[in-house]
Amino acid sequence: MTWIGVDVGGTFTDLVSYDPTTGQVRAEKVATTPRPDDGVVTAISQSVGGAGYSDIEYFVHGTTIGLNALLQRTGGPVGLLTTRGFRDVLEVRHGTRGDVYNLFWTPPEPLVPRNHRLEVTERVDANGETVVELNEQDVRDAAARFIQDGMHSVAIVFLHSYANPGHEVRALELLRESGFTGEVSLSHAISGEYREYERTSTTVVDAYVRPDTRGYLARLEQRLADDGFDGDSMVTRSGGGAMTWAEAKDRPFESIASGPVAGAEGAAELCRQLGVELAVTADVGGTSFDTCLIVDGQPQVLYKGSVADHPVQAPWMDVRSIGAGGGSIAYVDAGGLLRVGPRSAGAFPGPACYGRGGTQPTVSDAAFVLGMLGHGDMAGDLVLDRALALAALETLSPQLDMDAESIARGIMRIAAASMSNSIREITLDRGLDARVAALMPFGGAGPMFACLLARELEATRVLLPPFAGNFSAWGLLVADTAQAMSRTRVLALDDDAVAVGSVILGELFTTLDERPGVEITDPVREVAVDMRYRGQAHAITVPLPSDNGVLSLTADEVRAIFTREYERVFAHSLAGPIEFVTWRATSRDASRDKSFERMRVTNVIATTDSPPVRAWSFERAAWAEYPIIARAELEIDRAYPGPFIMIEDTTTTYIDHGFTAELHPSGAVWIVDNGAQQ
Amino acid sequence: MTPIASADIVRTVSEQSTGSQALDADPITTEVIRQGLLSAARLLRQTIVRTAFSPAIYEALDFAAGLYDKNIRLLAEAPTLPIFMGTMSFCIEEALASVGGAEVLEEGDVILYNVPYGTGSHPQDTAVVMPVFYEGELIGYSAAKGHLTDIAGKEPYSTNTLDVFQEGTVYPGVRLYRRGVLVDDVYRFVIANSRTPVDVAGDLGAEVAGIRTAAKALCALVERHGLETFRVCVERMFDHGERVVRDYLSAIPNGRYVGHGVMDDNGVETDLVPFEVSVEVDGSDVRIDYSAAPPQQIGPINCPLPSTVSAARVAMAMLAGNGEPPNEGHFRPLEVLTRPGTLFHPIAPAPCFLYGWPADQSIEVIFGALASALPEAVPAHSGGDVCALVWWGKDAVTGETWTDGAAHPVGQGAFAHGDGVSANFHHSEAGAALPSTEVWEQKNPWIVEQLAFAPDSCGAGRTRGGLGLDIHFRLLEDCLVTSALERTRTAPWGLLGGKEGRPNDLIVTAPDGTSQHYGKITGLKIEAGSLVELRTGGGGGYGEPAERDVASIVRDYSLGFLTVEAIERDYPHAVSELETHITA
Repeated sequence: MTWIGVDVGGTFTDLVSYDPTTGQVRAEKVATTPRPDDGVVTAISQSVGGAGYSDIEYFVHGTTIGLNALLQRTGGPVGLLTTRGFRDVLEVRHGTRGDVYNLFWTPPEPLVPRNHRLEVTERVDANGETVVELNEQDVRDAAARFIQDGMHSVAIVFLHSYANPGHEVRALELLRESGFTGEVSLSHAISGEYREYERTSTTVVDAYVRPDTRGYLARLEQRLADDGFDGDSMVTRSGGGAMTWAEAKDRPFESIASGPVAGAEGAAELCRQLGVELAVTADVGGTSFDTCLIVDGQPQVLYKGSVADHPVQAPWMDVRSIGAGGGSIAYVDAGGLLRVGPRSAGAFPGPACYGRGGTQPTVSDAAFVLGMLGHGDMAGDLVLDRALALAALETLSPQLDMDAESIARGIMRIAAASMSNSIREITLDRGLDARVAALMPFGGAGPMFACLLARELEATRVLLPPFAGNFSAWGLLVADTAQAMSRTRVLALDDDAVAVGSVILGELFTTLDERPGVEITDPVREVAVDMRYRGQAHAITVPLPSDNGVLSLTADEVRAIFTREYERVFAHSLAGPIEFVTWRATSRDASRDKSFERMRVTNVIATTDSPPVRAWSFERAAWAEYPIIARAELEIDRAYPGPFIMIEDTTTTYIDHGFTAELHPSGAVWIVDNGAQQ
Repeated sequence: MTPIASADIVRTVSEQSTGSQALDADPITTEVIRQGLLSAARLLRQTIVRTAFSPAIYEALDFAAGLYDKNIRLLAEAPTLPIFMGTMSFCIEEALASVGGAEVLEEGDVILYNVPYGTGSHPQDTAVVMPVFYEGELIGYSAAKGHLTDIAGKEPYSTNTLDVFQEGTVYPGVRLYRRGVLVDDVYRFVIANSRTPVDVAGDLGAEVAGIRTAAKALCALVERHGLETFRVCVERMFDHGERVVRDYLSAIPNGRYVGHGVMDDNGVETDLVPFEVSVEVDGSDVRIDYSAAPPQQIGPINCPLPSTVSAARVAMAMLAGNGEPPNEGHFRPLEVLTRPGTLFHPIAPAPCFLYGWPADQSIEVIFGALASALPEAVPAHSGGDVCALVWWGKDAVTGETWTDGAAHPVGQGAFAHGDGVSANFHHSEAGAALPSTEVWEQKNPWIVEQLAFAPDSCGAGRTRGGLGLDIHFRLLEDCLVTSALERTRTAPWGLLGGKEGRPNDLIVTAPDGTSQHYGKITGLKIEAGSLVELRTGGGGGYGEPAERDVASIVRDYSLGFLTVEAIERDYPHAVSELETHITA
């Protein structure tokens, strides 16, 4: 019996498998393939062997298929049907300039060009009252155009359909009657929230990625079935948790940003297991640094996200990203200061030290020259080349009047400072203090920054997760099955409004239960409502206690909960009337046993006899000898004082003077500032 | 940046480099500190956006906020309302002067200041200034200036004031907080002088929360690096900003370049108000000369000195700032000339409610002036305005007063390498966001019947301008509106042979069918059932229309951006291809 998580990234496809009966865990890393299902199947085959497919009980997938369709513009073509007078909402956006200081800033081309955006006469007002009846002939005419123009899918977005979906539902019937057989996305079913640009964008994104996502999942499903797989398959959702493939095919936009989600889910699970109250993640790959807050074992979820500059109105993990990773390129700007990123050498040519033709200095070149990557034996038999790294760094020497090693130290400090600024901003945004957080570095390039970030943030504890280089795949295994649905209904807070809200929530939970492909037998139901003081436009999302989805609160109790939450976020509260805005229902299945206590790591570097490496100590501001230790050699209940370099298959951790590492039974490693120990 | 008067011309320049000090600074630590300051500025902005009450702040970003050093030099700001950003140093100086100078400040003090001639703005744009102390020593200032929805004045929004006293209550530099404690007497006075007291209380609270957050972040940064290191690195950071701008400016051929703008009217009289701004480049120094401006006006389009300087700074930052928020160093190569008693340097108490309109336009006039020297570096003229409408009325059911206001996007000017963006906010209000129709209709008594690109509103050219918008509001109840539309009488210019775009317009059609056009109008009564059509301007074209490639013209036709008539008029070379396309 095996559980398998496979996370497809831009460069690598990562796999982690777990056998709940033996506790055995394996990690695999293969190159991502042009058709991503090839890489997925290769990774699984390597892990379980030809005969083992039938042994797989549970398969969770993190995919970028929808994201790629958006980035590479391979989705669609999509037709958009709107209320008359509003076909340009998608292209007008909010009229905001994306870059204040760029006179020539230009937004991305809309996903649906104007000639495929058709209007029909109809109108509903903000109360859901029909102001103008749907002109059915308009819809039939539009259907003919969509068929003639070869649209694969159609998005229907009418104003205020969250308040009254009648016209959208009827328009779908008319499209079908008129012979349109492609995919159709209805805005009220996709989002249910007001703000027409965001809802239009979300519905169009859904329609756009639908063919690619469905095709991909169907193809992969077939290939796995051919090999004997008959377990459950899931895919992660942008807002956290996982859903069945059947649901993912029906709501593909919900998986659009599943990339950083798995890491955040994994971090949250680890925090729950270890009782860590506050943590910040530092997921560093080749091109970007992602950070996410974990508070009381929960990642922070927003209800609006953005993907490739398209807003998406859906639950969304609050992961902040900046262009700082192992491949980030260092340069000297017009004013003579050293800068790092956001341009990246990417996978090809990659950092100069990879020896694949890169000549510009990167963060990885700097780290390697400083000894932070040990002797440079990397995953996939790659051996780093020190001379190439030095040569790349030296290209900046004339402008800076500094030697290569000083430049390398500068690159690491600047990259670490940018990452720390980002972490400080995300924590202060929530009124929290990064200094008391546990820092969780992972991803290929995260662990080498562990001690630098801890120092910059004045954080005293680093929690290095198991399989730090493949941690996203590990995170897939711990994601709960979850679903969410929301609806905007603005109501002044009183007992009647609570009653109306209860009815809305009941309808939302029923909709969730009836979604195709959903197999939650004993759901845990959670309720949250966006609330604000009347007059504000921005609302805060307030979780409300419920009896498994049923509200039994008085208006006074809700007011007290809102006030407490408002004070937590803003450090003050106000007098004045309060209103409900958007009602949110979430179901999750937390029944799967995730106690990974018996987890035994198998296929990693077990021991090493590498000689020590000469590395730069940022703590001592001097070069020193750093022993090399294999992570699998660590023993529980033993302190390993820095400095040393800790290697594992897919990442390298730099542990400086002044820090001590200890293995936790879960497989995670605590790295603690000696000065902070009592 | 002290103004220096010589004869009757006033010269405003930034404090120049201290030179030697900066040499001691390590370039790595300088970059780390520079990034840290920018991060603190982002926190300042984010705190205000997150906690503000009115859409002017959180949606239109009608505020600016920054951190300054002890000598009131700009350390960092986050992108907000560009035209405010260059005025903050004046706000701090004047706020300090009004309470008796920096010496009397104590930790935790917050000064409230909105004298228009000190802030550069109308009185609604209220500054809060907080000294930042580190271990008991004054190290700098955290400051914000934001548009408060209403602080009295003859109307919630006016285009026809005759002096600043009609425009709003004046807070002449008073402590809102003393040693961290709210001064209740002042606070109640402020709240009492507003038609929208809840918004004002909320937004002031947001500004104070923001500057406190940033002050803390500044102290933490100094703590991490030590005060001495911080100081020398800041000098080097300013030198760096200066180098970035000088590097750009030195590529401009020396010379004097003249640009021309024109205001529709001064809000009270009906004559056009033309003005001239010249740009003199000498090596890497640039002098922006507003001294040829017309006399100050009896209506409220006068632009007090701080906003004039800010417009020049914003233009420089956008052109030469390497795409990053500026610091004081970026302003060093810049000298601004003004003449007291003119449109761009009025004398109190001349009315200045619409001060931003000439300031905003002058940014584009500066670009226009440089077009002959740097044709690839600047765009043609945009719709040229923020197209502000402010609405208010009494709810028919509850009798409560409602109010709402928004800026609206315009077509952008074409440029050497691309078409102008359609429906995008003016440079001066870059971060603003057009509100959602669904949100509007939840709270305001109107139905929006259309929000669409206006075909043919773009100026023709080798690259064309962006399209303006047609927005149709059908009023369901009686209400009042102030329209502050500018550039309704003069079309957006093209560059290098490019054609003009469509100018802005507002048309109100009463239920009886009578229509009237408006530009600036205050408190216009709108009857229930009326249709209010806002037509925002299109961008000017760039280069000869005959050079536009035919495929792009046909594409503009099939997307509905251009009609057959416009193509026949502006692009005759594409007509035969178009006919083939239509037949196919």
